[in-house]
Amino acid sequence: MLRTGRKHQRDAVRQPWQLLVFSVGERRLAVRTSEVSGISQWNESIPVAGRTPFVTAVVRQGQTVLPVFDLAAFLHLTVQGSSLLCLRVKHPLGEMAMCIDEEIPVLHTFDPAAIQTYHGKDLPAEGSYTNGLDEIPILAVPRLGSTA
Amino acid sequence: MDIQESMRGAPSPVSLLRFLIVVVGGRYLALNTESISGLLTLEETGNVENPTVHGMVYGTLNLADRLSLSHDADGANTRVVLLSEGETRGSIRVPMVQGLLELQPIQVLPLPLQFHGAERQWYRGVILFAKTIALVINTTWLLNEQVSALESGGARKHSSACNDPTISMNDSRIC
Repeated sequence: MLRTGRKHQRDAVRQPWQLLVFSVGERRLAVRTSEVSGISQWNESIPVAGRTPFVTAVVRQGQTVLPVFDLAAFLHLTVQGSSLLCLRVKHPLGEMAMCIDEEIPVLHTFDPAAIQTYHGKDLPAEGSYTNGLDEIPILAVPRLGSTA
Repeated sequence: MDIQESMRGAPSPVSLLRFLIVVVGGRYLALNTESISGLLTLEETGNVENPTVHGMVYGTLNLADRLSLSHDADGANTRVVLLSEGETRGSIRVPMVQGLLELQPIQVLPLPLQFHGAERQWYRGVILFAKTIALVINTTWLLNEQVSALESGGARKHSSACNDPTISMNDSRIC
């Protein structure tokens, strides 16, 4: 029983991480696919006057109104491309939209052993992985908007 | 023109909410007609800053300032919306009135929770309008800010929102 339990625990820990890798201002970032609810063309956002840092607009998608987290402004970057994309993520307070570069996001699967601690302070991250010389941070979606 | 009076002839279910949709600083804003006493042209107000109607002074509220929106110049379509809740009155200039919208309370969507700043006081929700949205202005907040400014010379009034007149919204009460 104990051995089975331990094996199960080890398997759970070793579950590969499925990541969606995308770009904002040509900077590569990743997010767990389990926290992604969709990708679509970016429609013009509707500004909402307010005082919440980096949440200053909404997008309307049919009958749904989603708050926009301005990830590019948060990172002091500017989204690149003429056909920008809308990344919808599952935030604990409700679904949220982010405008990302037009570059088509890529799916990657990683062994958890390849995930390391992200030491940068510029964004909330669950960790990071190395791709060549680049360190790609994995966004901690639940902390977006609360660390600003 | 008294908006509430003009709508009395049209029977409709009690639960419906009516909003005047206006454009300020390029944004669509919605004002609950329960708080609207009148809609005047600049000429009808006598082009004065604080219009007086039936002996009641409606002090000017600068909505664009309150919401940090760009200022619109007065034009041919500028209207003055008279607001009142209980004994509190005020008026706002709007460069354009888009029209009236009648909605079920359920059609007023809550402001997404990710907006956690002062704006939660400013808006009562979101309305799907045309292909965009209109933000429902919290007229109680707007009018109370006016009272605060007048009573304390710009200092914030120290009072609970629950002491203020309540307005039905989404089948619930503000307080």
